[in-house]
Amino acid sequence: MKICAVAGLLVLAQLAHAQAPGLRIYPARATLWGANTSQRFLALARDAEGVERDVTENALWIIADATKATIDASGKLMVRAAGPVTLRAEFDGLRAESVIRIEAVDAQRPFSFGTDIGGIFTRRGCNNSDCHGGVKGKAGYKLSANALFPQDDYTWTVEGGTFDVLSAETKGARVSRIDKLDPEKSLLLAKAAGQVAHGGGRRFAAGSPDYVTILNWVKAGAPFGAESGDKGVFIRSIEVYPREVVLRAGSSHRLLVTAQLSNGRTEDLTDQVLFVSGDSTVVEASEGGLLRGKQTGETSIMIRAAGHAVSARAGVIGSPVSNYPAFPARNYIDEHVAAKLRKFRIVPAALSGDAEFLRRVSLDLTGTLPPPDRVREFLADRSPNKRAALIETLLETPEFVDYWGFRLGDMLRATFVTSNSTAGLKAFEDWILTSLMANKPFDQLAMERIAGQGRSAPARNFYYVSEKVAPENLMPELIRVFMGRRIDCAQCHNHPFETWSQNQFWGLTAFFGGLTEVRNGQLIVDTMGDHPDRPRDMSVIHPRTKEKVLPTFLDGTVLPRERWTDPRRELAQWVVSHPYFAEAAANRIWGYFFGRGIVDPVDDFRGTNPPTHPELLAALAKDFQTHRFDLKHLMRTIAQSRTYQLSSVANETNRHDRINYSRAQPRPLDAAVLLDAISAATGVPEEFRYHPMANGDPAAGTRAQQMLPDLCPSPFMDAYGRSMRKTPGPGAPQPALSQALHMFAGTTYNSKLSKPDGRLAQLLARGADDGEAVDELYLAALTRLPTAAEKQSVMQALAQQRGGRAASLGNLLWALVSSREFAHNH
Amino acid sequence: MMKRSSFLRAGALTFLGASQADLLRAAAAAAGSTPAKAKACILLWLEGGISHLDSWDVKANSGFKTISTKASGIRVSDIFPATAKHMDKLSIIRSMRTQERNHPQGTIETLCGHRPNPALKFPSVGSIISKELGGRDNMPPFAVVPMPTEGDFFNYEEAYRGGFLGPQYDSMILPDPSQPDFAVPDLSLPKSVTAEMIEDRRSLLKVVDSHYRAQETSAEFAKMDTFQQQAMQMLLSPKVKEAFDISKEPDKIRDRYGRTRVGQSVLMARRLVEAGCRFVTAAGYKHGEWDTHGDNDKRLRESLAPRLDQSLSALLEDLATSGLLESTVVLVTGEFGRTPAINPNRGRDHWPDCWSLLVGGGGISGGRIVGASDERGAYVADRPVSTGDLYATIYKAMGIDWTKTYMSPAGRPVYIANGFDDKMGEPIKELA
Repeated sequence: MKICAVAGLLVLAQLAHAQAPGLRIYPARATLWGANTSQRFLALARDAEGVERDVTENALWIIADATKATIDASGKLMVRAAGPVTLRAEFDGLRAESVIRIEAVDAQRPFSFGTDIGGIFTRRGCNNSDCHGGVKGKAGYKLSANALFPQDDYTWTVEGGTFDVLSAETKGARVSRIDKLDPEKSLLLAKAAGQVAHGGGRRFAAGSPDYVTILNWVKAGAPFGAESGDKGVFIRSIEVYPREVVLRAGSSHRLLVTAQLSNGRTEDLTDQVLFVSGDSTVVEASEGGLLRGKQTGETSIMIRAAGHAVSARAGVIGSPVSNYPAFPARNYIDEHVAAKLRKFRIVPAALSGDAEFLRRVSLDLTGTLPPPDRVREFLADRSPNKRAALIETLLETPEFVDYWGFRLGDMLRATFVTSNSTAGLKAFEDWILTSLMANKPFDQLAMERIAGQGRSAPARNFYYVSEKVAPENLMPELIRVFMGRRIDCAQCHNHPFETWSQNQFWGLTAFFGGLTEVRNGQLIVDTMGDHPDRPRDMSVIHPRTKEKVLPTFLDGTVLPRERWTDPRRELAQWVVSHPYFAEAAANRIWGYFFGRGIVDPVDDFRGTNPPTHPELLAALAKDFQTHRFDLKHLMRTIAQSRTYQLSSVANETNRHDRINYSRAQPRPLDAAVLLDAISAATGVPEEFRYHPMANGDPAAGTRAQQMLPDLCPSPFMDAYGRSMRKTPGPGAPQPALSQALHMFAGTTYNSKLSKPDGRLAQLLARGADDGEAVDELYLAALTRLPTAAEKQSVMQALAQQRGGRAASLGNLLWALVSSREFAHNH
Repeated sequence: MMKRSSFLRAGALTFLGASQADLLRAAAAAAGSTPAKAKACILLWLEGGISHLDSWDVKANSGFKTISTKASGIRVSDIFPATAKHMDKLSIIRSMRTQERNHPQGTIETLCGHRPNPALKFPSVGSIISKELGGRDNMPPFAVVPMPTEGDFFNYEEAYRGGFLGPQYDSMILPDPSQPDFAVPDLSLPKSVTAEMIEDRRSLLKVVDSHYRAQETSAEFAKMDTFQQQAMQMLLSPKVKEAFDISKEPDKIRDRYGRTRVGQSVLMARRLVEAGCRFVTAAGYKHGEWDTHGDNDKRLRESLAPRLDQSLSALLEDLATSGLLESTVVLVTGEFGRTPAINPNRGRDHWPDCWSLLVGGGGISGGRIVGASDERGAYVADRPVSTGDLYATIYKAMGIDWTKTYMSPAGRPVYIANGFDDKMGEPIKELA
C-alpha cells in the first residue's frame, strides 16, 4: 500500500511538471482476475517538449517476485499466482513502477460465445460489412456485423439459415457451419483456414490459437455459454489508451484496449481486437495494437471488438522546426488551428495575397468570379480593412443569395418530379431564396422545413419533391441533413458500429407515420397534418417484430398521445434544440469553405469517425448557437479567420497535410459554378433551355447556379458531374474523359471564344494590343495578372500560333478556361 | 440435390489434399492451353427480363409453339423465325440461376456478378473486361447504347460503372442512334476547329498550366493529362469519328437491323466493336419493356420479339459474313426469367430461380444446349449455371484469367467470376 501511494505521487509529480523528462507505466495499477490472464503494459517516456513516446520494447521490465507473474520484452504480463506484485520499468536512467493485484488464478473465466467466438469473427474480419456481416451475409452464411447480436450469430452458425431483413425468421438452406461429430471438418474451420475454397481467403492457419479456440468449442458440443443478462459477465464498453497518439516516421506506439465488464472488473482486450488504420500510408496498425508511423500526417484508428467499436487518432509529426513562425490569431478559429499545427510541427502557409484571397472568397461566398475591373480596384485599394469590407459587401450581394440558394437546394433537394406541379417547386425555391435574403436563422429554416404543413406552405413542398415519401425515407434524410448522422442502416438492422438500433429508427420514423398513405395504389401525401380534434394514428409497423411503434425520441421518450396533433413540430423542436443540430450545421458550413468538414464527410458523425479538431467544432457550434443560428455570422467568422485566408502555396512541412488547415486546399469547382465561371471569363452567358415540362424557358442571362438541375439539360454539367439532387449534398467533380472531349470539341468552350459581343471581341474592337489583352484575359479567368516570366512565355507562345491574331488570342482564352488553375478554387 | 452433391465433390477434392491454390494453378494452366480468340463482346440487353418459357426454353405452359432451328435438335419459340436460322452460332443456357427478384438488384447481380451491397460497389463485367484487356485503336473500351432505364438510371447505374475500380472504367453512354439528329456529343471537332488549332491550344495550355503545376502537386494533373491525350487521339482519328457515325452505314443495312431504337442500337454496337470497343451493351429496349406483367403473349408476339429477331439475326449474319464472329462474343440476356404461372393479367412476373440466355461467338461453341429446367421451367433440373460461370466462359474466350481476384477497398478478395455461394465460377465445359 505504501509503495502504491509513493508511485502514485511520483506520477502526479511528473504530470505536474510536463516539461521534465520522465517515465511512467500505463496502466499505473491493475487488478488481474482469473486463470491464464495476461495484461499488456506500456512504458511511456516524456521528452523535454512534453511529447510522450512508447519505449515499451526498449525498456527493461522487472518483476520482483517471478513466482507471481512473468513479463516478456513486449510488456505483456502473464499471471502465475495470486498476490500483489510490483512491476518496474527502467529506461535511459529513468524508472517507473506499477502495482498489480493478481486474484483467483484458478478461476476459469466462463466461456461466452459472444465474446470468445464473436471476438474471433470480429478480429479476423469475418463479420465485416462486405463479408458475412453484410445485410444479406455472404455465400449463404450470415453474421451480425461486429458481433452485435451473439444470439443470432449462434443460430446462424450452429443451425444455419440466413437473416431476412423484413422478418424475424431466418431463410435459406439450413446448413450448419459446424460438425459436432467430426469437429475438424466444420465448415467454419475448413473455410477460415483455407482448407476448403473460401471467397474471403484464409483468415487464420490451422492450429493457430483462433483455430484451436473454435475447434475446442465445437468439441465441447458448441455451447452458447454464459452471456448477457443477469448471470453472465459481459463487456459493457471498451476503452482505448491513448486516444491520441503522436508518432514520428519510423517510430511505433502500442494502443491498449480495455474492456469494462458488467461485474465491474476490467480485462485487457488488446490482443483480441481488430485495429484498422484509416490511412495506412500515414500510420500502419497491426495485430496487438502496434502502430507504426510512416509519413507525416494524421489518421484515425478504428478498433473493433465483439459488439463494440471505438477509435483513436494517430498523427506522425515531422522534425522539430526551428524559428517556428508566429501565427497571429484573428479569432478563436485560428487559436484552435494553430495549437494543433504547432503540436504536429507543421508550419502554416503565409497569408494569401490579395488576388488569391479575392478569387477564393468571391467563389466561396457568391459562386462567381470578380470581373477584371473589380480585381484591379481591390488590388489598388490601400485600406487596411479592405478584406473585411469585401466580405461584408459579398454577403449582401444578390449572387450570395443565388449561390447559397444553389447550395441549400442541393442540401434540401429542390428537384422537379413529374408528380408535382412547377408551381409547387417554384414555391419551394422561393422559400429557400427569401429565407436567405432575410438571413433567416438556420434553426427557423430547419423548423419550417421539417414541420411545413398545410396546402400552401412552401417548405412543405419538400414532402412532394422528395421522391421517396415513405416515412422510413423521410426521417433518416432529415437526421442526415440536420443532425449529421446517417442512421439509414438501422432501418433493416441495428447499425454495425453505432448505438443506433432498429427500434430507435422506427421510433423516430413514427413521427411521419400519419403523413403518407396508400389509396387505390397511389401514394398520397397529406401535409394538412393539423387535426386537433382527431389526432391521427401515428404508429408505424416494425418490420421484424411486426409490432406497432409509437413516435419515440432517440432517448426512448414516447411522444404522449395528447401531443399527437402536430407531431412533426414536436420533432422539429427536438431536432433544433439537440446539441447535434448546431455542430452538424457548423460542420457543414465549414466544409463548404475548406473542402472538408472537421468531421468528414460532413454528414457522417459517428464514434468511429472522430473530428480532427473537436474543440474547434465545439466552439463553432457554440458560437453559431449563441448568435441565434445566424448563417452570415458563421460565414463571416470563417472568412475573416487567418486560417481561411492562408495561401494555398505549400511549404516543406505542410505539403502532405490535408486535414489540419495549414494551407488553403485546392477544391474543384462544382459543374454549375465552373460553367458560370466560363461564361463570366469569356463574357458570353450560357443560353439555357428548360425541360418542356417546366412550361417555358428561363430568362436570358440566367446562370447555371440559378437553374434546377433536373429541369436543365446540359451536356457540360453532365460531363462535369453535377448533383441531380437524388441524395442530399453536393456532387463530387472528378476529372473524366468526357470533360477532356468537351474541352476540345464541345460547344461550351468553342462557341464562347469568338462571339461578337464576348470579352475577346470587345477587347479587339477597342484596339487592345496583345500585352493588354493577355493581362485582361488573365484577370478575367484567373483573377490575377500573369507574372513577368509567365507573360513572356505566353507572348512567345502566341507568336508561334498558326492562326490569325483573333484566333491566337481565342486559343489563349481557351487555354485559360481549360486550365486546372481555373477549374479549382484555391 | 444438385447443391448437396456438388458440395460433396468440392469437399472430397480438397480433403484429398489438393489445396485451393493447386486448383487455381490448374485452372490457370488450362486457360493458357486454349488460344483465346475473342477480342470483344456485344451484349443485347433485354431490359425487364425476357420470358424464358416463351423464347429459348418453351414448355407446355407456354402459349407459343416451337420451330426447328439450324442447329439440329434445338427448337425455339416460333416468334424467332429469323434467329432460328442462326442457332448454329449461339448456344442456349437453360439453367441460369440468380437470386435477386427485382429489376435494379437483378440487373446489378447479372451485370456485376454480385448481389448489390451498400458497403461495396462492384465493377460491372464490361468494366472488368475493359481493365483486363485495355482499349484498342483509340476507342473507349466500354460503351452502352443508348442510356438504359432512362429517367431511372440512378437506380441502375452500378451495372454500367467501374465500381471500386474507379470511374476510369465507367462505360461511355451514347444517345439513341435511331433518332434523326443522332450525334455523339463532343466526339468530332466542330467545323471551326482544326487539328492544327487543337495543337496550338494545347501548347498554350501547357504554358498557362505550368505556374499552377509548379505550386500544386495534385494527382489530378496526371489523370487529366491522360484523359486529354486520349481525347486528342479519339478526336483526331478519322476511324473513331466514322465508327460513331451511323449514317455511314448503307440504308439497306440500317433497314435490315430495323429502323428502331433496338435495331439501330445493335447496329451501332457492331460498328463500335469493329472499330475497337471491348464491350458494348446494346440497350435499345426502353425501360422495362420485357417486364411483361400483363399481356405477356401479345406483347411478345406483336412488339418485343420481332425487334429482337430482326436485329439479332442481322447482327449474326453480318458478323458471320465479315468473319468477326470468330472474335466477337454475342450475349443475349435480361436480368432474370419470368414465372411459370400466368397471372390474372395474362402476364408473367419476375423469376430468377431458373432462366435462359443465348451466348456464342468468339470461340464459344454455338448450336448447343447447356443445362435443363424442370417440366414447368420453374427450377433447374440439371447443371445450374451462375453468372460467374457465364463470365468465366467469356473471360476464357477473351484470354482473361478467370481465376483472378480483385482486392476490395476493405481488403477482401473478390472473384472477377463470382459463382454460386461466392465460389469461383468455372468456364462452361460444354461450350469449350
